Amino acid sequence: MEALLLSIRLSVTVSAILFAIGLPLAYWLTFSDWPGKFLVEAVVALPLVLPPTVLGFYLLVAMGSQGPLGRFWQAAFGHGLAFTFTGLVIASVLYSLPFAVQPLVASFEGVDRKLLDASSVLGAGRLRTFLRVILPLSIPGVISAAVLSFAHTLGEFGVVLMVGGNLAGATRTVSIEIYDRVQSMDYTEANHIALGLLIFSFVVLSIVYGVNRHLGRRIWSPWPAK
Amino acid sequence: MAGKMTLLALTVRVHVERSPRRSRKFVLDVALEFPPGVTVIFGPSGAGKSTLLDCIAGLLKPQKGRIAAGDEVFFESNAGEGTDAKAAVDIRPERRHIGYVFQSLSLFPHMSVLRNVTYGLSNLPPAQQNQRASEILSAFRIETLASREPGELSGGEQQRVALARSLVTQPRVLLLDEPMTGLDTELKASITKDLLSWNDQHKIPILYVTHNREEAAALGGRTIFLKNGKVTEQAESPMPAVQVRES
Repeated sequence: MEALLLSIRLSVTVSAILFAIGLPLAYWLTFSDWPGKFLVEAVVALPLVLPPTVLGFYLLVAMGSQGPLGRFWQAAFGHGLAFTFTGLVIASVLYSLPFAVQPLVASFEGVDRKLLDASSVLGAGRLRTFLRVILPLSIPGVISAAVLSFAHTLGEFGVVLMVGGNLAGATRTVSIEIYDRVQSMDYTEANHIALGLLIFSFVVLSIVYGVNRHLGRRIWSPWPAK
Repeated sequence: MAGKMTLLALTVRVHVERSPRRSRKFVLDVALEFPPGVTVIFGPSGAGKSTLLDCIAGLLKPQKGRIAAGDEVFFESNAGEGTDAKAAVDIRPERRHIGYVFQSLSLFPHMSVLRNVTYGLSNLPPAQQNQRASEILSAFRIETLASREPGELSGGEQQRVALARSLVTQPRVLLLDEPMTGLDTELKASITKDLLSWNDQHKIPILYVTHNREEAAALGGRTIFLKNGKVTEQAESPMPAVQVRES
């Protein structure tokens, strides 16, 4: 139970951070004309192809007591980053970044550019155009991004093990807990936790996709039509 | 240029070169003045009509030239520069205060007619927004559509909403890019009448792009013929009426 709560706390935190980072990043990736943009796209997509252990390894090195991030954290907050919940959050944000950014980019790209021209001719600056036109028309992409960030963080294993280790209450997430139980031949308990995670994930995804499909964007839109 | 009221003419001198990847180089090079009232810009597709409007609206940046409404300069390139030089003046589209109705109309599909129309009035207090909106909605005879969404409207109604949305901001210039494509002759005439009667009071330059002779003749006013990025003819009188082919 402790592990499940920790996993949910991690997923919620990471999803919220990814939402805040993902929106401006996806906007930039969609609308920037910078010639070197493809490099940033490649970096954002890296976690899709890298084994989690590779990402986890480099993050562990960076967060270690000799690593740049670890030393900075030590100087700023008086404690290290590796094997802490905060370290886990940072690692998970990087690992799940493409799952947040790519659905957002896809839906921003789907917005008719003429609508953006119309908005700017009508006197709206970029921020207003984004909030009033791009975002409301991208609600399905925003929901996908949120759900995928959450679900992907909930289910991650390799990066957590590399960066967080296995500390009860701090970094032992539900997937690590299941692995632990299996290692100690406790299949019954492993089954209970695994089943709980499966049902939880299924229910969350069903609710979100079901609501999105049947009620459409209107219910989610912060700016209702009338 | 000076008239009974403060009538402002639009002066446009632009040189635009575009080299799309898979087609031949296109050059638009024109110097024109648009007094208040309707000017029809007539020409075949690919003549540079929409490019010209995009430059005026600020959606496309010319390599060289000057665009101004009265004394207010929207765009001015440095004199004697290469084609890559930065513009000395280049006002962003949202600050130019120009009305632009696209061929696609581009109404915001997720907003009601009223929200579409008040979109350009965000700097005004809500009471004033509503007053201006209701005035323009009744001028274009669409007050009953205020709470509808664009997807529920007919082509003619959408056209009226698009015009109302552009004109409610009281722009200095109105650009119309083949806005009546697909409407029948009667509907076109009725919308044109409402537009012209609106402009009897406001007297702004209206640039009406079309490749349809009937539309051009019906609007009256001056006509500019554009072909391959060049002005081939300017007529001060309305385009001669041609045999009207009913569509």
